[in-house]
Amino acid sequence: VVFQCMVGGGWRDHKCTCYLLRNHLIQRFISKCFPRSPWMTTPQQLSCFHTSVSLKGRRWDQNNLKVYPPQLPDEPRRPAEIYHSKRQFKYSKDKLWYLAKLVRGLSIDEALAQLEFSDKKGAKVMKEALLEAQEMAVKNHNVEYKSNLYVAESLSGKGKYLKRIRYHGRGMFGIMDRVYCHYFVKLVEGPPPKKTEKTSFDAAKEYVQGLKKRTIIHSL
Amino acid sequence: MLNKVLDVHSPVPLLLTVRTKKRYFIPPAVGLKRKRNANPEAHARAAGIVFRQEYFERPINIACTAGIFDPYVPPEGDARLSTLSKEGIKQRTEQIRQSAASQLAIRKIKENDPEFSSKTFAEKAQEIFIEAHNALTNFNKERLHSLVTERCYPELTRGNRYKTIRWRFLESLEPPRVVHARCPDMVSKGNLYGQVTVRMHSKQTLAIYDRFGRLMLGGEDQPKDVLEYLVIERHLVNPYGSWRLHGKIVPSWAPAKDPIIKTVQIPGPELKPWEEFDSQGYQVPKPEAVQWYK
Repeated sequence: VVFQCMVGGGWRDHKCTCYLLRNHLIQRFISKCFPRSPWMTTPQQLSCFHTSVSLKGRRWDQNNLKVYPPQLPDEPRRPAEIYHSKRQFKYSKDKLWYLAKLVRGLSIDEALAQLEFSDKKGAKVMKEALLEAQEMAVKNHNVEYKSNLYVAESLSGKGKYLKRIRYHGRGMFGIMDRVYCHYFVKLVEGPPPKKTEKTSFDAAKEYVQGLKKRTIIHSL
Repeated sequence: MLNKVLDVHSPVPLLLTVRTKKRYFIPPAVGLKRKRNANPEAHARAAGIVFRQEYFERPINIACTAGIFDPYVPPEGDARLSTLSKEGIKQRTEQIRQSAASQLAIRKIKENDPEFSSKTFAEKAQEIFIEAHNALTNFNKERLHSLVTERCYPELTRGNRYKTIRWRFLESLEPPRVVHARCPDMVSKGNLYGQVTVRMHSKQTLAIYDRFGRLMLGGEDQPKDVLEYLVIERHLVNPYGSWRLHGKIVPSWAPAKDPIIKTVQIPGPELKPWEEFDSQGYQVPKPEAVQWYK
């Protein structure tokens, strides 16, 4: 998106206001394309969840406010999903990713055990987050057994960085980032899903089947 | 001058050699304590800005009392005895005329509200009750506020926001009747509130589903016989006041409610490190049966 605006005195001010204006217009365009609508299908339920967001980027926690219609008796029981996040703590998102990947797919007891005996700094924060989520699940989300949960999704995200000067020689400097990160976790009720390991024989079989089902187009 | 040429902001004049590269962004230096505006009020006054006098008071309108004054104590075995036995007839003949205070209160209410009549009021109370619960199932906030007092509203709605409630009033087993009335005044004398207790015996179905649509309590096909003592209140002095549900009285002899479907952990006894827990000899402590007002 190209803007021709003569705003401000020096060309630096001009660039900053251009950037802000462009962001604002993009946001308005996006909000027009995907308007927020209540998740409940029946229009009688007027206020099922907050439609106003206090801070930007809190969509992960809003998933906790989704209300499903009552299930019929012959439907399989819907597993409870609990979303939780820990925001803006002092750790690197890349270093936290390793811990998040470790915990993915484990049951909550196993995950807590692994984090308790991990030497990394982010493990402490993650353990707090998992314990909080477990308590929330039992108290607010009607989960029966607190051990019957597993970590379905576990992500790390970038928080707001503080910028500082890193002094180099010869009058040069670099901009140092003081990194902060977020941690997101989704707990689902039930036993953890079993990981089926694919053997090499299965992989070879699939490869051969793929070759066999090829068709030759434009042939006689 | 050098600042303007290089387009760089700094509180202290920069001394840069001419051969350095142009910096597009210099973050604010850490630890620099700028002299903040020492007296913003003096500055504003000097500039001529006048602020309006700020009042730290806010008027609060109280439209309902905080509780149930002089609550009705329902006689034991109210709905258990059949009307044909001797004791049943005794109960039936225990009319509201026996209690003088209730009669006084009703007279006071009739002074302030000429349309009140103890014979028709009971049906009206039942209608208010049914409409209030229907508004609760649909979660119609405005309608609920007009049918239920501010004290009762959080009791009805706490924890229900992300749950689905299905409630149905099937039929009334006995005609509702007014059993008790009181007319307390709050804060200043003459600020009258009328509280009338209505007894109703009815059949209702209740089913509460949690956020995921799973049944938490009750069942839609299980009707239950419910004996309730509702307290309806109105701010008599207020010409725009209306009779609204204020609370319920749960007698001490009421049968225990159905348990919720999930299993809940009860905290066990506190043990010292050398003690062991004896699960067979331990009895879960039960709360004593006391009348309470919901």
